[in-house]
Amino acid sequence: MPELTVNGGRYVLDAPVGTSLAEALRERIGLTGTKISCNEGHCGACTVLVDGEPTLACITLAHRVEGREVTTIEGLRDHPMVDAFVRADAVQCGFCTPGQIVSAVALVEAHADPTAAEIRHRMSGNLCRCGTYTKIEEAIRTWRG
Amino acid sequence: MELLRASSLDEVPGGLPLAGGTEVVPLLREGLLHADVLVDVSGLIPRGIDGSRIGGGATLAELEVDPQVPAVLREACRLAASPQLRNMGSIAGNLLQSTRCWYWRLGYPCRLHGGDRCHARDGEHREHAIFANDFCASAHPSDIAAALVALGATMRTTRRELPVRDLYRLPTEDDRRTTTLEPGELILELDVPPADASTYLKAMDRKRWAFALVGVAAVRRGDETTVVLAGAAPIPWLLAGPLDESTPLPGTAYKVEIARALVERARAAVAG
Amino acid sequence: MARLIRTEKEVEGRREEVWLVVDEDDLEQWPAGPRNVVGRPKTRDDGLARARGQVRFTADLRFPGMLHAAILRSPYPHARAKRVDLDHALAAPGVRGAIGPGDAPELSATCEYEGAPVAAVCADSMREAHAALALVDVEWEELEPLLDADEAVARGKLLEEPRHHERGDFERGLAEADVVVEATYRTQTVLHNSMETHQSICRFEGDVLEVYTSTQYVWGVRREVAKTLGMPADKVRVVCEFMGGGFGSKNSPGEFTYVAAELARRTGRAVRCALTRREEHIAAGNRNATIQRLTVGARSDGTLTALGGEYVNAVGADGWNSMTEGPMLMLYECANVRSTTWGARLNLPPAKAFRAPGFVEGTFGLECLLDELAAKLGLDPLELRRRNHADRDPGGSEAYSGKNLLECYRRAEPHWERRHEVRSRSTATVKRGVGMASQVWFGGGGPPSYAWIRVGSDARATVVTAMQDVGTGTKTTMAMVAAEELGIPAEDVTVAVGDSLRGPYATLSAGSSTTPSIAPAVRAAAADARRQILDMAEQRYGKGVDFDLRELLSLLGNSQILGTGSRGPNPAGMTVLTFGVQVAEVAVDVETGEVTVDRIAAIHDVGRVINPLGASSQIEGGIIQGIGHTLSEQRLLDPGSGGILTTSLDAYKMPTIADVPEIVTDLIDLPDAQLTSLGSKGIGEPPIIPVAAAIANAIRDATGADVRSLPISREEMLRALAEAKEKARGAATSV
Repeated sequence: MPELTVNGGRYVLDAPVGTSLAEALRERIGLTGTKISCNEGHCGACTVLVDGEPTLACITLAHRVEGREVTTIEGLRDHPMVDAFVRADAVQCGFCTPGQIVSAVALVEAHADPTAAEIRHRMSGNLCRCGTYTKIEEAIRTWRG
Repeated sequence: MELLRASSLDEVPGGLPLAGGTEVVPLLREGLLHADVLVDVSGLIPRGIDGSRIGGGATLAELEVDPQVPAVLREACRLAASPQLRNMGSIAGNLLQSTRCWYWRLGYPCRLHGGDRCHARDGEHREHAIFANDFCASAHPSDIAAALVALGATMRTTRRELPVRDLYRLPTEDDRRTTTLEPGELILELDVPPADASTYLKAMDRKRWAFALVGVAAVRRGDETTVVLAGAAPIPWLLAGPLDESTPLPGTAYKVEIARALVERARAAVAG
Repeated sequence: MARLIRTEKEVEGRREEVWLVVDEDDLEQWPAGPRNVVGRPKTRDDGLARARGQVRFTADLRFPGMLHAAILRSPYPHARAKRVDLDHALAAPGVRGAIGPGDAPELSATCEYEGAPVAAVCADSMREAHAALALVDVEWEELEPLLDADEAVARGKLLEEPRHHERGDFERGLAEADVVVEATYRTQTVLHNSMETHQSICRFEGDVLEVYTSTQYVWGVRREVAKTLGMPADKVRVVCEFMGGGFGSKNSPGEFTYVAAELARRTGRAVRCALTRREEHIAAGNRNATIQRLTVGARSDGTLTALGGEYVNAVGADGWNSMTEGPMLMLYECANVRSTTWGARLNLPPAKAFRAPGFVEGTFGLECLLDELAAKLGLDPLELRRRNHADRDPGGSEAYSGKNLLECYRRAEPHWERRHEVRSRSTATVKRGVGMASQVWFGGGGPPSYAWIRVGSDARATVVTAMQDVGTGTKTTMAMVAAEELGIPAEDVTVAVGDSLRGPYATLSAGSSTTPSIAPAVRAAAADARRQILDMAEQRYGKGVDFDLRELLSLLGNSQILGTGSRGPNPAGMTVLTFGVQVAEVAVDVETGEVTVDRIAAIHDVGRVINPLGASSQIEGGIIQGIGHTLSEQRLLDPGSGGILTTSLDAYKMPTIADVPEIVTDLIDLPDAQLTSLGSKGIGEPPIIPVAAAIANAIRDATGADVRSLPISREEMLRALAEAKEKARGAATSV
């Protein structure tokens, strides 16, 4: 049985082939911060980092992530970006927020001071129906606090 | 379902090849693809970009930012899909993606599914083709394919070398496939000859993360400009004559107008 | 003192006479302006927990032995399931139960729309449940679907009698007009597509049914489920502490709740029934399409003499015939108005309330019509609105409890002034322009709603009420109101919501009614607690002596101060509404039809603003949803079969962050002096209402093109541009 590395911890994956990484995180490991909203790779709610890259966990097969580092919102809970989102009020219902923060963290790890255009380009894969986008942009611009 | 990992190109087990998985996983889940055995080939397909050689496993995100990559291909990657999908998806996989046609995706018994009609032709077809749409009106969604065909790129598979253009074929009564890839054949590498100037323009329903209503890839070498369209035909469409020769459906006539403007702008952008 | 009164209650424009128990609320409103807490920006109390992914939505709840249910739905828009055989499904791996038509409310063999629920299966996993659905053997009889709204009206296939309104004499008003404009506007079907799909988990604990559900109305679900299942209401517990968006689609239990409840009853286990994203696109509700045939007559100075509208709402197989005619009846001073609204019964999934139902669609038609009138008259569009401002309710000539629309227009002027500079930046291919639209909506809320407050020896307070925070930040609003009234910091107030077992009745989170309904109850509860605290202080320290609150409360030990409060009645004989104006700047690529919204200024009059930070988020959110509705969202059907084609989030295009303009918000923030002890109205819906018209009017300003249907897709924009070119050519040659 494959072993997943999630937020620095090792987990033996006991699940049938075909289980998505999102299902493995939520059902097998019990990390429900990563949300499933469309389950087909269109909305970004399930975004996690795999080796630092924003990745859609709902269409990633859990069995293929062995040997790679998975980071979920739980692993980022003390990242300054979290406070930035709260300060900027970039949270409404909160369902898309974990995926947004994961993408945002990856963005600022690559570009610590992204322009508005870069923010829009890199965050366009995370849908938000409540419409927090304006405040998300502000949160990313002011993430250092 | 089984997941096997192939350790060498000489011993690829039978089964459905899987690289980035952004196409295969959703299609399996929707029942549009069936497989008992998946073969993870991501370890076998070369990655990396080296001059004009691009590994089939290179991701769109890697291509988007590499200065060795011609502008048309970089821009096609930049405007394709979403950031997450660009991180996950390989260039080879992108070339092999299926149409977004809702009739096909919902399993209507259309021509691509072996049936005897094209439901889009007298149905809702606003996203569909303006060329070669008599038998099947689906539109090819790949921006990257249009760019590579415009660049005259070639590919090396596990069986042969061929121009990217020849990867595609229009579906016919006898053979409904839109690619010429044989079962078990894998795309390994692309060779992308340089251009004097190139560009990719894309019309979408929203600013990002949308398939092309019309995508225009333009490549100039010397006095010759090659234009290839995405979203315009069941396969990447080399524009050989004027757009007046298009055969739009009532609901795709607007695409011809958009194509006209974008082709003119693309030509102007690459003009010497 | 408690009083039993009979009063009129309004939600989303629907009015009913009800009996209510109210407590007198003799609290005086706070003077306008920021207070210690109220009126100052505050981040959400639960924002950190939400951001960290720590809060549990219904989708995150797990119960031991929980089963998963999947619903079999009609693949046809009109069909009868003549025979439903569950045997093979029941024998499938992991399946623990299966039910068919009639076994649970809303499961029926008669299917009036694609997606109508017929049967359901529950299994150990979602995957097994869905696999088993394919084994349910159904013999279908396909029937002829009725899909066209105009045809339905012609054939009398309606959900209710057509709704007529008439005041004055429309024909005479038209005859008095110097200028008449007639136009037909169309809006499309749009889908809520909340990020958390509709779902419920049901389990029985003894004879108590627990319903964990993603809902906008905890108490409403309790009441409906109890009534439908024939149970005493206090044997139904409804829990929704966090939910992932509703926008009007989650106001009632839903078939998934009844399916889960019935399967929970049969299996003795917890059962979750969650809709897939595809089901959300098909049968989870929608904002119905409309056809609006409108007429306006005016004198040459712009005074409206007649307004007329024939509205066809393509409601669907069932659903609510929303008030598309509302803006025409309510927004402007006009003596002669006539409207008819038909609710077409079609073989399409039922419409559900969606953020200002009817008014978004109706404002698009009305405000575009008025701009066409302004163009014909050669009048400035903003001036035209001003000249027709209604000082009193044009419908019943009641006074408004509070209306600052003229102030909104005044504050719109600097944004409106930008149009000269914006237009000057037009190029040959990209034309730029500015447009405006004004709006009216409800938002006064009403009784009943109740709150309790508990204050302990640690000088911290807990507000308890069984409302739900659907993402609007109303929990934080309540904390702020309680803190202000008690005189303690907002950080020392906790708000416990979302459980019908814990906390008194609170109204639904819809109709922009949460804050104006519940916040006064919270203030009343806090005031009750404060009175008791003052009583304590007087007994301890003597009358009129200054005291330290913490020191006093520290005496409590295990004792608590309990305050209760209720929402009093709305002002009698007055019209309570919200108002606003939006000014949009657009750029139109006239060769490709691409529309870019560069900027929207939103000026809204919603009474006193309790949390300006949360309020600005509501405005931005409403505008962004409005942009989706205006430019890119549409549910598409196969014209032949009526089959739904847009079933995924790549086909159904909602805005991404890349589609968002610069948004400037300006809240009038004057308390409505007649409305409750707070003077606050709701803000959830006002900001989405004027967006489409402001954008369409900006497009007209930029290009001269009349957009008449939504969405303003490439093809609609190019069509309008071609039509404008033809008209110009025609006008030129006819000289």
